[in-house]
Amino acid sequence: MDLRIPILKKSIDVEKYPLCTQKSRLITESFKHTDGEPMILRRAKAFDHVLKYINIFIQDYELIVGNTASKPMGLEFDFYAGLWSQDEIDGLKENGYDITREEEAEILQMNQYWSAFNPLKRMGLLFGEPLWLLMQSGTILPPWKSREQGSGGGYAESGMGLGPGFHILTVDFENVLRNGLNQIISRAQDELRKLRYRSIESLEKAAYLKSVVIAHRAIIGFAERFAALADETAARTTDLGRKRELEKIARTCRRVPAGPAVTFYEAMQSFWFIFLMITPSPVASLGRFDQYMYPFFKKDIDGNETSEKEVLELLQCLRIKDMQINRTSGRQARQKNAGMAKWHNMVIGGVTPEGDDATNELSYLILEALALCPTPHHTVTVRVHENTPEDFMIKALRVVRTGIGMPAFVGDRSYIAYLLGEEIALPDARNYALGGCIDATVVGKSRIASYGMFVVTKVLEAALYNGIDPRTGVQLGARTGQFTDFGTFDDFMKAYKAQLEYFLELHADKNNIELLVSRELFPDPVRSSLMLGGISEGRSLLDRTFPFENAAVMNPVGMINVVDSLAAIKKLVFEEKKVSRQELLDALSANWTGHRYSEIRRLLLAAPKYGNGDDYVDILAKDLFEHWADTAVKFKTVFNGTHKPTGVSISAQWPGGLLTGATPDGRCAGECLADGSVSAMRGADTNGPTALLNSALRIDQTRYQATLLNLKFLPSSLKTDEDLRKLSCLIQTYFRHNGKHIQFNVVNETILRNAQKQPEKYRDLIVRIAGYSAYFVHLDAPIQEEIIRRTEHAKVG
Amino acid sequence: MNVNDSRGIIFNIQRYSIHDGPGIRTTVFIKGCPLRCLWCQNPESHLSRPIVFLNSERCTGCGTCLQACPRNAISLIEGASKTDRNRCNGTGNCASSCPNQARTLIGRSVTAHEVFSEVNADAIFYETSAGGVTLSGGEPLSQPDFAISILKQCKQAGIHTAIETCGYAEWNTLRRVLEYTDLVLYDIKHMNPEAHKEYTGVSNHLILDNIKKVCAVMKLPVFARIPIIPQYNDSERNVLETAEFIACHLGKSVSVHLLPYHRFGEAKYQRMEAPAQSVRIIPPDDAHMERIADVIRSFGLQVFMS
Repeated sequence: MDLRIPILKKSIDVEKYPLCTQKSRLITESFKHTDGEPMILRRAKAFDHVLKYINIFIQDYELIVGNTASKPMGLEFDFYAGLWSQDEIDGLKENGYDITREEEAEILQMNQYWSAFNPLKRMGLLFGEPLWLLMQSGTILPPWKSREQGSGGGYAESGMGLGPGFHILTVDFENVLRNGLNQIISRAQDELRKLRYRSIESLEKAAYLKSVVIAHRAIIGFAERFAALADETAARTTDLGRKRELEKIARTCRRVPAGPAVTFYEAMQSFWFIFLMITPSPVASLGRFDQYMYPFFKKDIDGNETSEKEVLELLQCLRIKDMQINRTSGRQARQKNAGMAKWHNMVIGGVTPEGDDATNELSYLILEALALCPTPHHTVTVRVHENTPEDFMIKALRVVRTGIGMPAFVGDRSYIAYLLGEEIALPDARNYALGGCIDATVVGKSRIASYGMFVVTKVLEAALYNGIDPRTGVQLGARTGQFTDFGTFDDFMKAYKAQLEYFLELHADKNNIELLVSRELFPDPVRSSLMLGGISEGRSLLDRTFPFENAAVMNPVGMINVVDSLAAIKKLVFEEKKVSRQELLDALSANWTGHRYSEIRRLLLAAPKYGNGDDYVDILAKDLFEHWADTAVKFKTVFNGTHKPTGVSISAQWPGGLLTGATPDGRCAGECLADGSVSAMRGADTNGPTALLNSALRIDQTRYQATLLNLKFLPSSLKTDEDLRKLSCLIQTYFRHNGKHIQFNVVNETILRNAQKQPEKYRDLIVRIAGYSAYFVHLDAPIQEEIIRRTEHAKVG
Repeated sequence: MNVNDSRGIIFNIQRYSIHDGPGIRTTVFIKGCPLRCLWCQNPESHLSRPIVFLNSERCTGCGTCLQACPRNAISLIEGASKTDRNRCNGTGNCASSCPNQARTLIGRSVTAHEVFSEVNADAIFYETSAGGVTLSGGEPLSQPDFAISILKQCKQAGIHTAIETCGYAEWNTLRRVLEYTDLVLYDIKHMNPEAHKEYTGVSNHLILDNIKKVCAVMKLPVFARIPIIPQYNDSERNVLETAEFIACHLGKSVSVHLLPYHRFGEAKYQRMEAPAQSVRIIPPDDAHMERIADVIRSFGLQVFMS
């Protein structure tokens, strides 16, 4: 049925996303009946209530079933990350979300009930004064408005689980696919039978195990509801082909996820039910999909049970299913994660736990499905190692060339080195998956539950102004001295480092408070039981220590702006003395207006910038990243681990920029910060990709759980397979020397046309043309036309 | 003279250069060219010394450059600066003093060692991709000692070396450069000596003699690069003669690289305050390029398109 994919694709293309209240209504109902019981049991019962009574539906043409909200393409309000004020609801309406009057009233009512469980309020009341000032300043995004309401606004998301969403982990899908949920249930029952009440923890363990049984039975019941619905629909269907499909759906939903999957199709359906239960989560990881699905694929292909064509269709169905999982949040968090950002990361390729190449036929088909069905989600990331087949790289780069920004590439060497540094066993390290954007996770053996966006340019400001936030005049940092009193660059550097250590200690407090509050409010029987030792340990995932104990991370936003600023200060203020210390401060507070100040800005802009392979500044980058990592690991988490350094700014460079005044790298007040973590500031890297990568390689990336690098390319440099082979070499070189991640923005015609119309928004767009490179917006119109004409030649293929 | 001290004038170093030889390369553009092709898109490369580009859209007529110029080559006409190109000798004071970046200096004096250092910065990329350095221009043979010095240092560091040349130089000069060269990208613009003289300013005798020697005497691998300039060298006859020359006189190991004419250089004439090019050439379409490639392939030659 060749119409299937286009029709399903059309169904996800909606003008307005309906906001729904059914799920939270069901949760609220259940909670009102379980007052006084242990939280984990209350959550399991609420989960069961949702799965029993939420609307379900099967869409025409669907092969994989399991709706994500009570309405198609809907988002269910939830309250785990904050409440929904009238103002926030209005904000959603302004942004084009659909919400009925009745539902609006219902939400406001539910707010009252959930305010007792508001995690932000609990956190806010625990913040000491210095931390409270820090939270208000927005240094850890987004800025808090009040201790009771946090940054304001909760979430509305799709998915059948209870959340909370921002837990970054990869559950052990393989276990469910191979053994089924009934096995988990009976193991939990066995443990319960064996349980003796001789310790304080035993009661908690009992509650946990009971909740696991309730939750997994609920999932099986949910699948059975779909089986019944499929049968009913089949009975009414006259189209014989569709009738058979529905009957197959019914059979499948009776078998999985309760029992082990036998066929590839059953494995896909089983996977989807489980994935639905670990969402809502914008950061749900699909893990090493091409690895754990391969045995099912191989058996069916070899036994002629299925064909590559059918597999390809199912893989596309999965992409479309994932597009039904949506998410929105309060105004400020919407800014932090632009668009309906989510990180449902599927990694393919890489090495096996034994160290051999893991790429298989399914890995290729996943790329093919991505090319045929280029929806923004789910994300596909290619793990690259030295023996990754070249044709696999070229196939992946052909998809990149189409301009969808996927797949991204990560280097096995750097990730594995990082995990080995964390004393993870080699086979587990080799089996890493990506959670969230691109953070290293060990399948079933690690989870991040506190992930902040820390605006590190605020620390630079603290060092310049003796701890005072120039935006508000509040004493935010330590008193490290007046800038005008620093005699040498080293003195200033010491002040910066002292400020950073002061800020990160507070940051650690905030993270630990968040972990403790989450532990109390959000024990999750589903995800907890799908972790390694999920039954035998008998504890919720926020109640135990994991082999890779990365519960909280520290993540700088705008580090490259700090690097460039320090280089400019070093050169112009302390070495060449072309700008006096007072003049610099004055120029910054004037945001460069005035003749002398704009002259100063010109000098600062001309100072060495990160991204050009210039050691003058790259050494500072190396030093600052190292210092960040050293400082992060000094602070313990409540799980007895240390904070882990990572580097992923998502789109936080924008709100982070709004909070930061003019910076000595020549950036204006409020201007967006550098993106990624080891990318250069926009337009600062002018010597091409090799120079940028050389700069990035000065930083010891093996100390980081993730780093992010964006590269822009014009399709004319990606025209032939030979061009792609060279790009593959570029990636391989970067990874061979411990680079971690690269993703590509391939500029297409639409972008170039937009740049012609709104040059101010595309100042950083570099195009590489015969013999030289230039900013696109600086080129004369005829050359721009010529470039666009060339761009058109780069066709998908 | 110490080879490291050899100075020359370059006008660009292009890293991650992927269309100037095998692998990932760094291309060094050396100033000066003995030819004056009618279709030239790199007029800024003609002279060996630096020159000034003027972007008149950015010029506010502030007059700062008038004061800065040591040769009084700049005047203000109707509120915009103009350069007397006969007086200008490319010191570049105007460019460094211009507050609006309307003037930029094209070409800078560097030592061969400085060039080598920048090339060597990407050594890890050459290693993975079997790439290296390519000296281009202008014409690298216009500054032969400088070119030799760069190539020699690169070879010593184990970097693969290539030159891209029009071949118009004394054989002895070319031969000396080739001693440090692993691969030659050699331009063949036209087979007819009179037409060659008319379109480029020089005859092709020396050029064709030299390329034969590169293959026969030096036995170096050669890429024959043919710019396809519609109405000038794309006639069936010239394509046939070119292919025949390559196949019969150079050998079938020489691969042919076709470069379609482009117009990226048009605005440069304005920036040099020179009259626009007298010729108006339309870039060839893909089908035309494919037809030419087919003709060349019929001689048993391998053809690549850029």
